[in-house]
Amino acid sequence: MAANFQLPLQCLQYLEKRGAESQRFLIASSGGKIYSYAAETGQRLSSWPQDVDASNANNSKATETETGSEDQAPPEKKRKVSPSEEGPAETSKSTVKASTWSSIPCLVAHSNGDYVIALTAEDKCVRVLRLKDDGTLEQLSERCMPKRPCSIALTDDGNTILCGDKFGDVYSLPLLPGNEPYVAPKLPNRPKVPSATPLTVHSKRNLESLEQQLRYSQKNSTEEKNSLNFQHQLLLGHVSLLTDVAFVTVPQDDNFGKKRSYILTGDRDEHIRVSRYPQAHIIEGYCLGHTAFVTKLCIPQYAPGYLISGGGDDYLLVWKWSEGRILQKVPLVKQESETTQVTVRGIWATSIGGSNIVLVALEGSSNLQCFVLGSDGTLKPQDPIEMSGNVLDVAIMEKDSTIVVSVDCIREKGSTHEWRASPTSPSNLIESFRVKPGTENLEWEPVTESLVTNINMGGSSGIPADADTKQRKELNDVLYSLGNLRKKHGEDD
Amino acid sequence: MSTPPAKRQKRDQYRKRAAAAANEDTGKVKLPQKKFYRQRAHANPFSDHQLDYPLSPAHMDWSSHYPAFVNPDPEQKNLAGARKLLKDVEVVDIGCGFGGLLVGLAPLLPETLMLGMEIRTQVIEYVENRIQALRTQQNQLKNSSTTASESPAPAIPAEPATDGASPDAASTPETSNSPVPGGYQNISALRSNTMKFFPNFFGKQQLSKIFICFPDPHFKAKKHKARIISENLNAEYAYALKPGGLLYTITDVEEYHHWVLRHFREEGEHEASEGGVKDLFERVSEEELASDPCVEVMRESTEEGKKVTRNKGNKYVAVFRRKADPEWPA
Ligand SMILES: C[S@@+](CC[C@H](N)C(=O)[O-])C[C@H]1O[C@@H](n2cnc3c(N)ncnc32)[C@H](O)[C@@H]1O
Repeated sequence: MAANFQLPLQCLQYLEKRGAESQRFLIASSGGKIYSYAAETGQRLSSWPQDVDASNANNSKATETETGSEDQAPPEKKRKVSPSEEGPAETSKSTVKASTWSSIPCLVAHSNGDYVIALTAEDKCVRVLRLKDDGTLEQLSERCMPKRPCSIALTDDGNTILCGDKFGDVYSLPLLPGNEPYVAPKLPNRPKVPSATPLTVHSKRNLESLEQQLRYSQKNSTEEKNSLNFQHQLLLGHVSLLTDVAFVTVPQDDNFGKKRSYILTGDRDEHIRVSRYPQAHIIEGYCLGHTAFVTKLCIPQYAPGYLISGGGDDYLLVWKWSEGRILQKVPLVKQESETTQVTVRGIWATSIGGSNIVLVALEGSSNLQCFVLGSDGTLKPQDPIEMSGNVLDVAIMEKDSTIVVSVDCIREKGSTHEWRASPTSPSNLIESFRVKPGTENLEWEPVTESLVTNINMGGSSGIPADADTKQRKELNDVLYSLGNLRKKHGEDD
Repeated sequence: MSTPPAKRQKRDQYRKRAAAAANEDTGKVKLPQKKFYRQRAHANPFSDHQLDYPLSPAHMDWSSHYPAFVNPDPEQKNLAGARKLLKDVEVVDIGCGFGGLLVGLAPLLPETLMLGMEIRTQVIEYVENRIQALRTQQNQLKNSSTTASESPAPAIPAEPATDGASPDAASTPETSNSPVPGGYQNISALRSNTMKFFPNFFGKQQLSKIFICFPDPHFKAKKHKARIISENLNAEYAYALKPGGLLYTITDVEEYHHWVLRHFREEGEHEASEGGVKDLFERVSEEELASDPCVEVMRESTEEGKKVTRNKGNKYVAVFRRKADPEWPA
């Protein structure tokens, strides 16, 4: 039998626990699971959700997936588990089963190192996990959002989660919900009569609407139905599809010690909006300059006055975001060619050895582009780093001058859908690079220590090399969905 | 619903002729007839339309919209290389329909540039032709009175039909044959989905008035996100309005009126609480509105307003004033 492919690490985060002795972890999502690793050795410390315990073992459906890294069955096989099948209702918090989701498209490490915020795809849940000293993960809360979230950010005090969803809304949620049960604010009793009467309807267009409403009101006529059973606040909304949320706090020049916070949001219709936080209904400005959808907003911690944005354009824009002013348009492809469409998958900023570095990955590209951000806000291109597979995510260990890159070991380099002929053993789940000290230009050297070998040896979940076309497509779509944001013109009225 | 080819062809021919005729400087200028510009009642504000919109307000070419207001200095160009105007657009009619509000407001504020925005293609085409015809009529009137040569035949006003199925009984000639202040040079319209692209056209605190007249009610609760008034969109309207600027609303749907009040937090569960859009808007009193001529235009000159009058329906008006931005919390 052919060897298995290993499911790539979709998201990768570095965490440092601030305790008596500092502990360092890498956290990765892969399929429906989250792994934690010791950042020094690459030793895998845990896999979440935990393996099914014995009492549930009679549920053959559940055992299919939870067999650890030697797993032969693809965990992303979707199984519909009805509540009755899920066993006792009061399953303890720590035994969450990865049965209702097949991927974790978003993972955010809390700056104090104690928490990880994860987004599970199909059930639209924001999950806060505690990272314990031994590296195991315990779920503290699960909050299912009304619409599929697409981006998660934390406020700089770390106490609030900002969650943007596909329908354009941004909610704020407390990181740790209070102990008291949530009481939804009472809605005033509004009479549930149709909003239109024959007196108010003067045209065919309104008449149609009224008929719809009458039909509808027989079923359910409550508007703004408030079904979230946890504390939350709707901060702002775009009519366009929202793609990314960023939070930034800047000191005021003229007012020593005073700070102001803003929330930046990007959407599919090329907009970047700058709103006050928490009074997000006050729009401070827009950064308008993209001609295609926006996918990523990056505000470097070392230069919070600048914004680097990218998306479906073949360039990045560097902004003085508070003025909506473009400082630089940075090309991402050598020659502008009509045929290649690029999509920015990630923008990461870090400060290593005195250099302010910006890293950029395009969707379905094995090339990690490197730039140095000058004090005037211009990006100077450096030599890129070539990976063994498409770049998926980057975790940065600033203290070690090291980056850890998760790469796609299933698809061919440069493709979002073509699979390799056969898996290599072990598969490259990650690669790591260190800034060469004492060189004038930014130069990287590969890290070969146990961190890399152990993570790659350890593998993830196996995907049979003979997976059929349908399954392959499903797996491709989980990892590479940004291209769908591009508008297909011609479907007009 | 597809239109029979013959009918469609007739329509297309009519519209081409009307567009050409609206520009002709001689002879009788007819105003376009609405029945040739009908279109499906609703356009989905969430879908991707093939829309033209500027990269940013500084990229918008207004020169073709307001030729009489183009800066005489040809060196004055905007970011897209288009000639600049002498002043900015300050009044916007969101979902302007067939343009009745603009035509009514034009002589009231002859020095103010006003723009109608409408998502439906055929409807906007009608408004464009209508405005062009009105401008041409006005030019002719001006020329005839100054040159006193052979006076052109008075313009033949078209009957503005309804966009509903029934023929419009009470069609009245909408243009007088006397010159009107501003000569309709100060109004224009363009196609846009304002729910998505408003910030592409107008910068921070650019506008002094926004009108939203008889917005589509979207009665179905599921469709309320398609309503053109919501707290989210109100934040965008607030961004574009100057402090002291006004946002006018009128509807014949009582429930929608209360929806408007709730979404400006003038009513409902958040009424008492500060924060939200309440930071940004306050309701204008009835007394003040009594002396505002714009309210009368909104009630009686819009096509929808006329329809409601004929059907003896109610009209609910609410106007909000943009407050200055609140201070940052200390
Ligand atoms: C009921 S009509 C009112 C027309 C006009 N204001 C009047 O009072 O006669 C509402 C108009 O809003 C337009 N509309 C709806 N959504 C829109 C959007 N997102 N952007 C621009 N126009 C829109 C519709 O096409 C329609 O013509």
